[in-house]
Amino acid sequence: MLAASDQLDATRLSGTALIGELALDGSLRRVPGAMALVSAAQQAGACDVIVPQDNGSESAAVGGIVVRPTHSFSSVVRHLAGVEDIASLEALPASMIRSADDDAPNLGSIIGQRVARRLLEIGIAGRHNLALSGPPGVGKTLLTRAGAGILPSLSDAEAAEVNRIHSVAGVGESRSPDSRRRPFRAPHHTISTQALVGGGPRIRPGEASLAHRGALLLDETLQFRADALDALRGPIDAGMVTIARVEGVRSLPARFMLLAAYNPCPCGWFAVPGRDCACEDGARRRYQARLSGPMRDRLDLVAHLEPSTLGRGSPAPESTAIVGARVADAWAVQQERQSMGNADLPAEEIDERHGFARSFLDVLEQRGRQLGLSMRRLHRAARVARTIADLEGSSVVHAHHLDEALLHRPKEVRA
Amino acid sequence: MIGIGTPESPGERHGTTRNMRASERECWIALSMVPGVGPAGFAHLVRRLGSAAAAWRAGPEGLEGIARLPAGVWESFAEFARGDPHELARTLIDATERAGGRVLTGLDDDYPPALWTLDPRPPTLFIAGDDAALRERAVAIVGTRGASGYGFATATELARDLAASGMVVVSGLALGIDGAAHRATVDAGGRTVAVLPSPLDRVYPPRHRPLARAILASGGALVSEVPIGAAVGRPDFARRNRIIAGLSEAVVVVEAPDHSGALLTAVAAIAIGRELYAVPGPIDAMASRGCNRLIADQQATMVTSAASLMRQIGLSRGGRPPAIAALSEVEGQVLKRLLERSGSIEELIDRTGHSPAALASALSLLEARGLVNPFGGATFHATLAARRLAGVI
Repeated sequence: MLAASDQLDATRLSGTALIGELALDGSLRRVPGAMALVSAAQQAGACDVIVPQDNGSESAAVGGIVVRPTHSFSSVVRHLAGVEDIASLEALPASMIRSADDDAPNLGSIIGQRVARRLLEIGIAGRHNLALSGPPGVGKTLLTRAGAGILPSLSDAEAAEVNRIHSVAGVGESRSPDSRRRPFRAPHHTISTQALVGGGPRIRPGEASLAHRGALLLDETLQFRADALDALRGPIDAGMVTIARVEGVRSLPARFMLLAAYNPCPCGWFAVPGRDCACEDGARRRYQARLSGPMRDRLDLVAHLEPSTLGRGSPAPESTAIVGARVADAWAVQQERQSMGNADLPAEEIDERHGFARSFLDVLEQRGRQLGLSMRRLHRAARVARTIADLEGSSVVHAHHLDEALLHRPKEVRA
Repeated sequence: MIGIGTPESPGERHGTTRNMRASERECWIALSMVPGVGPAGFAHLVRRLGSAAAAWRAGPEGLEGIARLPAGVWESFAEFARGDPHELARTLIDATERAGGRVLTGLDDDYPPALWTLDPRPPTLFIAGDDAALRERAVAIVGTRGASGYGFATATELARDLAASGMVVVSGLALGIDGAAHRATVDAGGRTVAVLPSPLDRVYPPRHRPLARAILASGGALVSEVPIGAAVGRPDFARRNRIIAGLSEAVVVVEAPDHSGALLTAVAAIAIGRELYAVPGPIDAMASRGCNRLIADQQATMVTSAASLMRQIGLSRGGRPPAIAALSEVEGQVLKRLLERSGSIEELIDRTGHSPAALASALSLLEARGLVNPFGGATFHATLAARRLAGVI
């Protein structure tokens, strides 16, 4: 407008993109999705972009384009007029990049629950869907939150993808833009279906997409709305949320690892030795039915926790640093072998190329017959076995890896 | 070695251990023939006096201090006591062999181990066919004589699947459900054991005599607690039902109206700690009322499909549990601990010192072989099959 009315020299505008919402008082307001816009501008050939101050750091993370953040429109005019340049923002130095969540509880402070710790490690290392079931107060929430501390770092490409989604959702500022930290989302169980999987008039990413490449913790899983849990089935299978609209079908990436934590029954003490469950049969069945068959089918590992009986004098539990290092190594091996987590390995690639020998597949088939398991379940167990082998540093998957995976498969609860 | 007799007994003074055992076995058989003694009375006598031979020697007079026996027993015993126990036993053994059977006593090494858990256990059994079938994993399928088409079909399907998994199917040779279960097992090439309420030479009901022959021809067995030549009376269904439950690790009631004899087998199964399953029926079907009530009262687990029954029993098609000796070191250790006391992996870590990973692999294999079951929680239990294999029962 200013250029057209000759108040500005249009040549200064070429190669420069302007992003922002102009307020009536002349200030620039932050806009959601700045990263996506900046990255689009960069691809369109812009070498300079002026953005609102509040979008500065996330925009700078795009790279390959000079980002100039500012507060006011008047400074934009002065910049374009060549009076006073807006200083460009440098990307954060690598040393400041945080990869793991420093606020997560340290695994070293969690006593006992060795089986649950083991499954947390396996689950996170291969991005398998994990559930912790147990009575109140055994440490389900603490353990799952400690999981945030052992998530392996994002690669550059993954980080850019994650940051773009967070930026579109308007929550980009909650993340340090250069962070290699995997998202760890823990929505409250009262969340609406739309907020969980995304949607709304302008289609905003939901928690499922914000957890893309990271973990989605559903604490008190069975307290979530049934339709919300159902809506997660698609994303778990496809790695994306699909939203159908009059104007067409839109999809958002949502390849998250599911972390579920719940009580085995409304009172929490069902099937705990030495404790009586106070629930009525019907109430217990209705509660357990909420973890519907299809949802149970999509879990890879279930840990049953009981109150810890460990006394003092037992060996100190491993710290987040030690477990995290093992997970990082196992993750690196997977990336090198197949450029994806084991959980995403397609069924038709469960073969020699990925360390599953013919003899292993025979054992897999045999266990399927012995335990009466579906192909889907067997494939899930094989992927978990691949991760167990990776944690052990074994390039080949053995029967004992499979057996460990199978033992912790989700099972029907016999109420 | 069983403790027998005092030195005054001539046979024992001159005999070897082998002869002493043969002598005790004959007294044992003879004592179990005394009408009215019954398994409980028999067990009581042998426990109090140390051996069947001692009980026989003591005679009616010597037994007066033992108050457990019913009144009529004294007379019949007095009558029997005039005979020679060895001759009585040999006569019965001969008669049994002429009928194509043989006598098995609680003293014999090949007495079915599953019956050891019964207290009191049948002192003497009469068996025709292959008695190896009595020492394998078995499931009982029982039900009403007045079975519906649904009952016949369900019994047939369950028996066929159990047979295909190598399970022995036990039943009572009665008309209706029992017959369907035996027939389906024979047709599937499996082995089945019929427990008779009558002596071997008088197969009851007569209409099932061809079926009894088919059972023998296919490697199965007929079992009875009633000696050949016993006074003709009402068939003893209650004792028969107890043996059916005893021989089996699980009892499945397919169809049973109120007051059905099959419910007595269910009661026996509960009393001796066998897993009890019931097939549900429509709420207006008289033939299913007993089953529905067992389920409603939570005395029996509901059978929803043949496959679910197989899984719950810890079976898969074609799989048979290996001998304990075939287990790996860790598996053996884990099973031994679980036979002592059920426990979670956390407890097993403390009790064995193995890692969670090693224990999980071992438990998983044991589960696949039907030897342990977590029943949906953190605590693992050794199954009946494991107890049987380990010789705990």
